[in-house]
Amino acid sequence: MMIAALNLLAMLVLGAWLAATFDRMAPALWGGRARGPLAALADGAAMLTRPATGTEKPDAMLRIGAPLLYLVLAAVGLAVVPIGPAGALIESPVGIVIWGSCEALIVIAVFMHGWAPNSPFPLIGAYRYAAIALPVMLPSMFVLIAAAIPAESLSVTAIVESQREVWNVVRQPLGLPLFVLVGLTLTLRGPMDYADGLDLAGGTSAEQGGRGRALWQMARLAMLVAFSGMAAAVFLGGPLGPVLPGPVWLWLKTALIMAVVVVLGQAVGRTPPANMLKLLWVFGLPISFLHLVAAGALALW
Amino acid sequence: MGVNLVSLARRAPVSVYPCIGPEMLPAVEALWQARGIRLSATPRDAEILLVAGEIPDDARPALDRVHDQVPPPRAVHHWAGDGDPHDALVALRDRLARGEGLSPDRQPDEPPNEWRGKGDNGQGGKGMMGGVPYGRPMAMTDDDLRDGLALDAYSAQFGPFAPMLPPGLVLDLTLQGDVIVKAAVAAPPFPQPPEASRPAACAARLLRLLGLDGPAARVAAGRSPNAFFAVRAVPAGLGAAAPGADIRSRLRGWLADEPGTYQAPDPAQMLPGLEWHEAVLTLASYTPDALRLACLAAAEGRAA
Repeated sequence: MMIAALNLLAMLVLGAWLAATFDRMAPALWGGRARGPLAALADGAAMLTRPATGTEKPDAMLRIGAPLLYLVLAAVGLAVVPIGPAGALIESPVGIVIWGSCEALIVIAVFMHGWAPNSPFPLIGAYRYAAIALPVMLPSMFVLIAAAIPAESLSVTAIVESQREVWNVVRQPLGLPLFVLVGLTLTLRGPMDYADGLDLAGGTSAEQGGRGRALWQMARLAMLVAFSGMAAAVFLGGPLGPVLPGPVWLWLKTALIMAVVVVLGQAVGRTPPANMLKLLWVFGLPISFLHLVAAGALALW
Repeated sequence: MGVNLVSLARRAPVSVYPCIGPEMLPAVEALWQARGIRLSATPRDAEILLVAGEIPDDARPALDRVHDQVPPPRAVHHWAGDGDPHDALVALRDRLARGEGLSPDRQPDEPPNEWRGKGDNGQGGKGMMGGVPYGRPMAMTDDDLRDGLALDAYSAQFGPFAPMLPPGLVLDLTLQGDVIVKAAVAAPPFPQPPEASRPAACAARLLRLLGLDGPAARVAAGRSPNAFFAVRAVPAGLGAAAPGADIRSRLRGWLADEPGTYQAPDPAQMLPGLEWHEAVLTLASYTPDALRLACLAAAEGRAA
């Protein structure tokens, strides 16, 4: 139990560093400068040592509570994924329900973060994110339930076991792309970053510098690790693979998903929120529902 | 440990918040690609305030307000746009670390005006809402433009150094949520040199507002953006000055290196009804010069 907990912590910290490094290498794809493995640590240290000022009458409890909640949700979400040799830290028969509730609570964490500074841009970011994240949660549930059908279980470990012959990414080809859209939303990235974009001077983070900002960025990265681990387990067979030990396979697949999310986050444009809302309800939701129906039909057949 | 953190932090780019004066937009935009400098989206996340060019007197109070939002100990670097400011900024950061070169608060840490109390709690509005207590605008319910829901309306001034608006432009806006319901131009954008209106520079500016920093850097260097959902991220018909002349077509033209001869409408007329992100894209879809001319013409029209 203790070892599994330490393993989870190590994966979150190392994974966050890897994700931050991917973020700093990706500009090379567009001819920019790739920064090396120390860059993420240097940026983190710079943020931690930089002073911070507060706004007038902030909500001090929410200001610290928002990033902490976000971090805890990342940890709890990853805890149901079988990352260690002995499986998941929380071997729950309803693993994807636990993950789903973490997803839903992220909306609360981001809203708290936007509410706390008592300032207009962060608050607009908070409301905008809530409006967009809500319809994203529904495809997420459809996609995860579809993955649970062949496993006949809501446990993530059982979903991994159900992929011994064929991975879900092959059996349910729409699942992973839809889930990556969810991942971009959960980690406030690129096309789904309606919370912290440049058009709002940094949105929910607009009034934040120093350690508070470092904690928030860390939480975003940790959530990317948790999401990528979940996606690797549900769609890429998690720890299943030849020769190498299971945890190594899970790590490699998690890193692959992480890289994909980082690149898409920097390569796909962000449409205005009203347009995204329309796209999500008119296309995203029906497509994910059809995906669920197809998965069900395939299982019965 | 503490020492190690500090020496590690020195390897990070210098974080600056730029306040862009007249004729300085191209020089500052070139810093997006500069080595060892990071343009911050907010003064709260900067260590040095980069004052580019001569800031006109009208904009000085705003400059002082932005200055005081850079967390102390802070420093100010005045830059005339000549040469690479990197070395000077790094030297300034090192001096800051030694406790030298500090720039103290320019404004007193007190409310913008006196207590003008009204209502049970002296807040200035009705009940617990609205009014301008201590000079701070508070939200108050108001009729809605779109669906009749009486949402909170919030009036405030935006600019002249906001990172998503053309430098110099000051807007008096009333927002309901993120919808602009009323707009007035308090000051036009600063004049900028012709390079600021180059198609590549204009396209890169728009792409950054779509979250596409990498592709924007490519476009600024005269290459194709290599992005997905870049032009199509802008909804068709948004910001249409005339039929077929929407933001999307202007961006497409700029990406094809066509300057286009677009006349900008008066922002006070074009912004109401738009959501914040749409409004920001609409403003960035005109060259800074076209926008300045439109603001000046509208002001002249009002004077006449």
